[in-house]
Amino acid sequence: MTKEAVQGATEEEQQAQSKKAMKKQQKEAEKAAKKAEKQAKLTAEQQTTEEDDFAKDRYGVPAMVQSQQKLDRELVRVQDLTPEKADQLIWLRARVHTSRAKGKQCFLVLRQQQFNVQALVAVGDRASKQMVKFAANITKESIVDVEASVRKVEQKIESCSQQDVELHIERIFVVSQAEARLPLQLEDAVRPDGEGEEEGRATVNQDTKLDNRVIDLRTTTSQAIFRLQSGVCQLFRDTLTNKGFVEIQTPKIISAASEGGANVFTVSYFKTSAYLAQSPQLYKQMCICADFDKVFCVGPVFRAEDSNTHRHLTEFVGLDIEMAFNYHYHEVIDSITDTMVQIFKGLRDNFQTEIQTVNKQFPSEPFKFLEPTLRLEYTEGVAMLREAGVEMGDEDDLSTPNEKLLGRLVKEKYDTDFYVLDKYPLAVRPFYTMPDPNDPKYSNSYDMFMRGEEILSGAQRIHDAQLLTDRATHHQIDLEKIKSYIDSFRFGAPPHGGGGIGLERVCMLYLGLHNVRQTSMFPRDPKRLTP
Amino acid sequence: MALRELSSLEKYLGLKKPNKYSTQGDKKVPVLQNNNGPPLLGLATIACHLVKEAKRPELLGDTAENRAVVQQWLEYRVTRLDSCTKEDIKIILKDLNLYLQDKVYLAGNQFTVADTLVYYGIHPLMVDLAVQEKEQYVNVTRWFDHIQHYPGVRHHLPPVVVLRNRIYTSRHH
Repeated sequence: MTKEAVQGATEEEQQAQSKKAMKKQQKEAEKAAKKAEKQAKLTAEQQTTEEDDFAKDRYGVPAMVQSQQKLDRELVRVQDLTPEKADQLIWLRARVHTSRAKGKQCFLVLRQQQFNVQALVAVGDRASKQMVKFAANITKESIVDVEASVRKVEQKIESCSQQDVELHIERIFVVSQAEARLPLQLEDAVRPDGEGEEEGRATVNQDTKLDNRVIDLRTTTSQAIFRLQSGVCQLFRDTLTNKGFVEIQTPKIISAASEGGANVFTVSYFKTSAYLAQSPQLYKQMCICADFDKVFCVGPVFRAEDSNTHRHLTEFVGLDIEMAFNYHYHEVIDSITDTMVQIFKGLRDNFQTEIQTVNKQFPSEPFKFLEPTLRLEYTEGVAMLREAGVEMGDEDDLSTPNEKLLGRLVKEKYDTDFYVLDKYPLAVRPFYTMPDPNDPKYSNSYDMFMRGEEILSGAQRIHDAQLLTDRATHHQIDLEKIKSYIDSFRFGAPPHGGGGIGLERVCMLYLGLHNVRQTSMFPRDPKRLTP
Repeated sequence: MALRELSSLEKYLGLKKPNKYSTQGDKKVPVLQNNNGPPLLGLATIACHLVKEAKRPELLGDTAENRAVVQQWLEYRVTRLDSCTKEDIKIILKDLNLYLQDKVYLAGNQFTVADTLVYYGIHPLMVDLAVQEKEQYVNVTRWFDHIQHYPGVRHHLPPVVVLRNRIYTSRHH
């Protein structure tokens, strides 16, 4: 390049540089101006906050409740907020379900278990702008104490359980603040699966729900499910107690596997090992031999089955029944089916709200049953299956698909979701099952089904020590391991029978749910040990 | 397989003298040696020939349009049905279900040889269907049950059980 050109170039460069410099200066000036503006605004705001907050004492985050004082204050329950309380000034403690600011107002939904109510903080003579802002910023799920007046509304608030009233807040304090980021949103957890897909809104998958069980259990659906489950336990106890049964507690740490060695958890027991009980079977029977006549027990059952299905847990709650009978084991079946029917009736009559709440998220058909309970013989069941094109042998056990198909056939023919299948083949039952007196291929044993899935396996038990020994030998069971069990029948044992149901499975099937983890508060399966 | 079908077809048509067939190639395409000319090759071709031999032309369709439809279904049987994979089965059943929504027979309103051959071809698929699936493809099941009960058709195939009532309601999973 020539000198001139170089010079020209430098000049250009200089010009370019100064242009750049100018631009830079301009930008910096703008930035500074903006900053100054912001500062001015902030100071102005601060001034207003300091100036105008006449409601300073009516909101805030008080000191943590460490039982500093005994306040003689009555807290009203959300479910009791009805038009009858209109214009009363009340206190209540609830969770903030949602909070939404709209100009000079903040709308909150306050929730207590399955009930929620709309509440409102509005700028006026009771609430300041700062108070409204505070209310809008309270994180979801925080627990708040609220003093408010109850007001009737002309238009029903469809989205809340309390539809005829709303609260006008005078004072609001945060008793326990929730972290801003929740691991899952309660609205998402309650959304039916189909709806989520259709409208593009989120639903929460089961694993996330189970990992954050404490929050998931707060949803209306979960609250309903476990209240119903509590009802099942209560009805079970009450019905059996009224029939003269005695509740017993059986040990869960035992020395020998009761149902076969494959699916049992081993624990270290001082210098030796022990097992977690797979069922209270042996102890129930020993109680009968100890003259308790009719017993039941409610307790955990541990099965180390590596099955990852929708209906298996490694730990579940077993509701077990055992009773001595006079002449025929059908006395036992009748007693058990009557108990089940009482439970179904109790749920149908007293837990409709819960059932409807669950159906909102998980629609299903209402549970149907017959009185007296339908009882089919195994051979009849096999015949029905064969009529539908299934090929199976007379002494074959029912596979799960066949059980389900039989459930549908029975539903279609008899219109019931609950039935008993009696006289199973002896070959597929445990060694302590009493064989049929007339046909050695069959046994005095039965299964009960709800919506086509097995919920109870039961039978008349062998109460004769010699026959028991023979059957155990036939099944190639080590007699040493069950010596104390066989011994209990050597000193006079009445004829007896019984059966056991799984609480979680019964709840799942009654409600028409599809996964037993939904009805287990903190489920245990081969892949889950926490929470 | 194809040979048994042809002998069943002969029985249905009432042909007194059973023909002797041979097969060709790995796909075992049936061959019929004809005294009067070149050998007949292929299930569809031989079936049509047998129908003509038995003097039952109505089984090939009564109008020109129906005859064309019958030929189409015979083609379908040999090309789509005989070599279908597991994934194809769902598509085939869905299509057939839609087609049979408003028809009693495959072609026109009469029983034709298309019904017979498609019935033979679809039998192995129907045998493996669960009750719930049979209810799902309700038109195919209805037509299938009708054909398998048609006098003289079934012969070498075991009957497939079809339930009269629906046992899966619309809300069933």
